[in-house]
Amino acid sequence: MDFLFSYIALAEIYVLLSLSTNLLVGIAGIFSVSQAAVFGVGAYIVAWFLMNNVLGFVPAFLIAAAGCVVLNILLTLPALRVSGDYFVVTSFGIQLLATAVFTNWTTGTGGANGLPGIPPPDLFGKALESTGQIVTLCSAAMVLSCVAFWLVMRAPFGRMLRAIREDELAVAAAGKNVLRAKVSAAALAGAFAGIAGGLYATFLSFVDPTSFDLDASILMLTMVVVGGARTLTGSIIGPFLLLALPQILTLIEIPTTIAAAARQLLYGVLLIAFMLFRPQGLAGEKL
Amino acid sequence: MLAVQLLVNGFVTGCALGVVAISFSLIYATTKIFHVAHAGIYTLAGYLAWTFVSHGVPDIAALLLAIALGALGGAAIQQFLYAPLERRKATHLVVLIASLGLLAVMQNIIAAVYSANILQFPVPWGSRMVAAGSIRLTWTQLLTAVLSLAAYAGTMWFAHRTILGKRIRAVASNPFLAEITRLQPQAVYIYVLAIASAIVCLPGVLVPLDLGLQPYGGITPLLTATIAMIAGGVGSISGAFALSVLIAELQNLSLLVIPGEWSIGITFFIFVIFMLFRPTGLFTKAR
Repeated sequence: MDFLFSYIALAEIYVLLSLSTNLLVGIAGIFSVSQAAVFGVGAYIVAWFLMNNVLGFVPAFLIAAAGCVVLNILLTLPALRVSGDYFVVTSFGIQLLATAVFTNWTTGTGGANGLPGIPPPDLFGKALESTGQIVTLCSAAMVLSCVAFWLVMRAPFGRMLRAIREDELAVAAAGKNVLRAKVSAAALAGAFAGIAGGLYATFLSFVDPTSFDLDASILMLTMVVVGGARTLTGSIIGPFLLLALPQILTLIEIPTTIAAAARQLLYGVLLIAFMLFRPQGLAGEKL
Repeated sequence: MLAVQLLVNGFVTGCALGVVAISFSLIYATTKIFHVAHAGIYTLAGYLAWTFVSHGVPDIAALLLAIALGALGGAAIQQFLYAPLERRKATHLVVLIASLGLLAVMQNIIAAVYSANILQFPVPWGSRMVAAGSIRLTWTQLLTAVLSLAAYAGTMWFAHRTILGKRIRAVASNPFLAEITRLQPQAVYIYVLAIASAIVCLPGVLVPLDLGLQPYGGITPLLTATIAMIAGGVGSISGAFALSVLIAELQNLSLLVIPGEWSIGITFFIFVIFMLFRPTGLFTKAR
């Protein structure tokens, strides 16, 4: 039962990350492989506050979300200044730089060993220690975020984001503020990633750089691509499906030494196959 | 004296990086594809050469075999991935995601077959020292510098003096016009991928001779090379090569003040400076 619960909690956290990636890549059309970096920053902020007993879970969580909003705006700003491919370089650079910081800044992040023993989340003075309680917390966060995403996408703002993707020039010519729309999308994406980071750190009670590296970013991209870009359904299907896949891999006899590589290999194959044969994913719109 | 040694090391690294940059630049300027999977070919070349050498193939033959296989691999990528995507009128984003997927596939096949640990080449001559005054170089470094400069000169000669080179430049400057004058851009793209992949195999084999092989080691050189390409001006072979040397020199000199694990930060800092002040690069001709 605990196993099922942790699968659900993890998948729900990844739904938040998919929403974040989907907003940037699918909806705003900004290619990003640095969402794991933002996710990591959120996780490390919450971990640091809780481990040093500076703040409780809720304020730490809010600070992480706010920090990630600011960070994601800063990271996406170059995308608004430089054109498409230059931002690909920026995005890769940010991700590699973040991994370097997570790994080498030992005083703040524990370096490659990570930060073990993060206390469980507490709500209104009550610690949530059982997996069931944490699943409830994650579910609540996921439902709230999905509702937020859904509301945003059916609001005039959401329609404007779609329009920008279709024809940026036309939207600008219609007198809309394209820059502000993109920055707002980035801010929302940052908030989702930050919330996911906070939940992840307290759920696993352990963070280390390998959870926030380029492979993690690729995983998020795969989730969006497989589930389907630009829709809420896609962002929910993707994580649940892709986190179940490694379990299927364990049924096949694969030596443990290559299990991680086999998993990443599978994600790569999925990326190529979906781009070649079904770019809209399982339940998405044209990418 | 340390500074001079670092300058010399920087020059060697920069030459190898320059070859990565000119090969990427060839592909990017011609096909307009941000070919992330180039890092996969780079890594694969080293592992292929390692396999040949370990099975008793003479060193030079191993290098040539790796180059030939790399060229085949590049042509196959265009034929079986990029060309079908182009026929489906895939957007830029879709092609980029597919390329990223291919990179994940290549890296993880390598990791599964050879394990993720660092492999050293079994070539005793490679680490033998040559000393000139107080400057010490390994044979590998000497060979890297000489062959990289030769590759640069060869690429310049090829692009400007041969029929195929001129045809490639024609397609790069105006694919539509090239199509109606029967220069067959699709065929040219296959040649370009093959040639550029062959070129990148040279540093792909030579750099690991010194530093060892690592399945995920291709991204950082590729990222640095693309930064050099952008800073040098897209389409300028000499610009890409010169900026590669410059960036490697700055990275090496920065070792005097900052520990080596932060060098990605230096690279990225250079990129940001360029993006802010000269986003079109140093060596672009006025249009």
